[in-house]
Amino acid sequence: MQPIEFAWLIPVFPLVAAIAIGLFGKKLKEGGGYVAVVAAIASLAITAAVVVQVLDGSFDSADGVMDGVFEQSQMWLTLTDSYSFEVGIYIDQLTALMLVVVSLVSTLVIVYSLAYMGGEGERKRRYYTEISLFVGVMLGLVLANNYLELFIFWELVGLCSYLLIGFWYHKPSAASAAKKAFIVTRVGDIMFMIGLIILFTTFKTLNFRDLFEIEASGTDLSLLTIGTIMIFGGAIGKSAQFPLHDWLPDAMEGPTTVSALIHAATMVKAGVYLVARSFPLFVQTPETLLVVAIIGGVTAFMAATMALNNPNIKRVLAYSTISQLGYMMLALGAGGYLFFHTQHAEGYTSSMFHLMNHAFFKALLFLCAGSVIHAVHTEDMRLMGGLNRKMKITSFTMLIGALSISGIPPFSGFWSKDEVLATVWEAGDLSWVFVLLYFLGIATAFMTAFYMFRLWFMTFTGKPSVASDHAHESPRVMTYPLILLAILAAGSFLVLFVGGGFGGQVFFEEPHSLAPAEVLTATFAEPITYLSIIVAICGVGLAYAVYYRKSISSDVFVSTKASRTMYDVLIKRYGFAAAYDAFAEKVVYGFSKLVDLFDIYVIDGIVNGFAFIFARSGNIIRRLQTGQVQLYAAIVIAGISIVFILLYLVGGLR
Amino acid sequence: MIPIEYFLALGAILFIIGAYGVLTKRNAIVVLMSIELMLNAANINFVAFSSFYGDVRGQIFALFSIAVAAAEVAVGLAILLALSKTRDTINLDEISLLRW
Repeated sequence: MQPIEFAWLIPVFPLVAAIAIGLFGKKLKEGGGYVAVVAAIASLAITAAVVVQVLDGSFDSADGVMDGVFEQSQMWLTLTDSYSFEVGIYIDQLTALMLVVVSLVSTLVIVYSLAYMGGEGERKRRYYTEISLFVGVMLGLVLANNYLELFIFWELVGLCSYLLIGFWYHKPSAASAAKKAFIVTRVGDIMFMIGLIILFTTFKTLNFRDLFEIEASGTDLSLLTIGTIMIFGGAIGKSAQFPLHDWLPDAMEGPTTVSALIHAATMVKAGVYLVARSFPLFVQTPETLLVVAIIGGVTAFMAATMALNNPNIKRVLAYSTISQLGYMMLALGAGGYLFFHTQHAEGYTSSMFHLMNHAFFKALLFLCAGSVIHAVHTEDMRLMGGLNRKMKITSFTMLIGALSISGIPPFSGFWSKDEVLATVWEAGDLSWVFVLLYFLGIATAFMTAFYMFRLWFMTFTGKPSVASDHAHESPRVMTYPLILLAILAAGSFLVLFVGGGFGGQVFFEEPHSLAPAEVLTATFAEPITYLSIIVAICGVGLAYAVYYRKSISSDVFVSTKASRTMYDVLIKRYGFAAAYDAFAEKVVYGFSKLVDLFDIYVIDGIVNGFAFIFARSGNIIRRLQTGQVQLYAAIVIAGISIVFILLYLVGGLR
Repeated sequence: MIPIEYFLALGAILFIIGAYGVLTKRNAIVVLMSIELMLNAANINFVAFSSFYGDVRGQIFALFSIAVAAAEVAVGLAILLALSKTRDTINLDEISLLRW
């Protein structure tokens, strides 16, 4: 037996833990927190064994097909001979990458939760049940071998997200944020489902392996474009891309650990994962890839602008998450477009590299923010300040995270962001759209550096405020995960220099492994690399000048009328929150009212009309019943006579 | 030998007279008597065909029919007796309880 054959156990441990904690959590220590940690570590251990096998390619594929994919499956539903569904696991390098990210980050976050959620009392049981359930279904989502299975887990992570955002459901804001997250992502899910129906009816299968070979099968591909766009619709909802991005900032109503795990490191990556998983389909439809790239670029830019002036530490990070997810989508779109025209798919690799780095540094940033919130009991950055002396570990690890996300070399965020931008720049040769998107990306990089360091300076430097007076460093259960994540956030770029590099393992169609020296020349020989470094440093510098040296007053952003308007527009999120409400109120509710009127007047009208006609006609006809026996007898005799006369006339009696 | 048509004509005439009585008379006793006429019209047919085909089954049925008619009259008269006791009438026009 080889370790990879036990891969199906990876999601099973957290799921069993969820059931156990749900049933017996009250009697367990810490509301079952330790059980959740043990289950997550067990998954992590199996993941590690599986990943080692995937990396050296030493496994025997279960079905004898040698294409670097390990697949085990079981027939589940047979509709007819040609329509059937499977359950199974599908492991390639992409799956392995996601498994590592999900199980590693979730283990650290659950460990961190032991301290962060320590004061929740009875509610801890619910928290650990839901978070274990989430880890299980997220791992299941990653392992699925067909779209139906993926879709089921996709909905389940949405459910867990709903439950955990609404963890403090007694707060009305949390309850409505949970509903908003669920309903807004549902819009995308419906599109995803339509996409799946299109694929299933066209290609008669939802298995990844069969679908990825349809190009060769000679089936008519004309429906593929609309199918892939619909699937991308699912990704838009789940990964909070424009125009369905507005639920993610509200999702910050949940506990910070939930924001770190679900709304930064894992679940929101499911959309990116979906596009990456469907890449063999997407690369056949350049129109869809263009849509993916444009949505990604616009999202990255818009979300970054909204992060610029938000006073809430978690919301800044939420906008930053949306923005970075936009980068990943942009890279996938541009990379796929390049592949369609030139057969090079470095964009796929760079997107996945950014996904991995982002999972580490964004989980780090959120957990640092959680540590700060734990200490000062507020999320408003204006009430913080001067914390770097009191919370040395948190402030230092958060600085690493901020440097990494800002793209300052040599931290890992720099390498992946640079690769993303390089891909987009390269795609600029094919279409002017990508040149535009490249400059959006550069502007985003500048803003990212600015708002991250605005956050850092506002929180950790300056004069201590009332809230930070009695702040103290968090317990070790919380700081150790921070330190581990900081090491990963700073050093995960080292995978570029090990073996064949990241591109030698996570790739599409062709591995592009580079020797360490080649990586360095490929990065630093390009002039555009220096452009992204310069804008990042400019962003940090501006934040330094405004929020540390205070040599530029932050009032400049609101001093003139135009900038004041701009400021208000950003605080109001470009009116998206209001637009959602207006859309729901006017369009959806109006349509429902219209349907209601149709129901009242047309449907009920028809039913009541029939009832009225029959009641009225019955009222008339009942007068035939006179009660006179002789009249009845006369009618019977007349009837029989008529029958006989007719029979005689037509000849039946002759 | 009298041809069978004569018997059938007699039966038909009796039946029509009976039916006419059932439909037009207001007195329930007369209606019962008219029903007897119709039954006897049927009996005549039974016996006529029995003789015509040389088959004794027709005569057996005629006997059954007479017995059933006797029973029917007994029940019918009992109902009429009860009616005249409770409603003080046996005029069929006034007995129309089962109407709208």
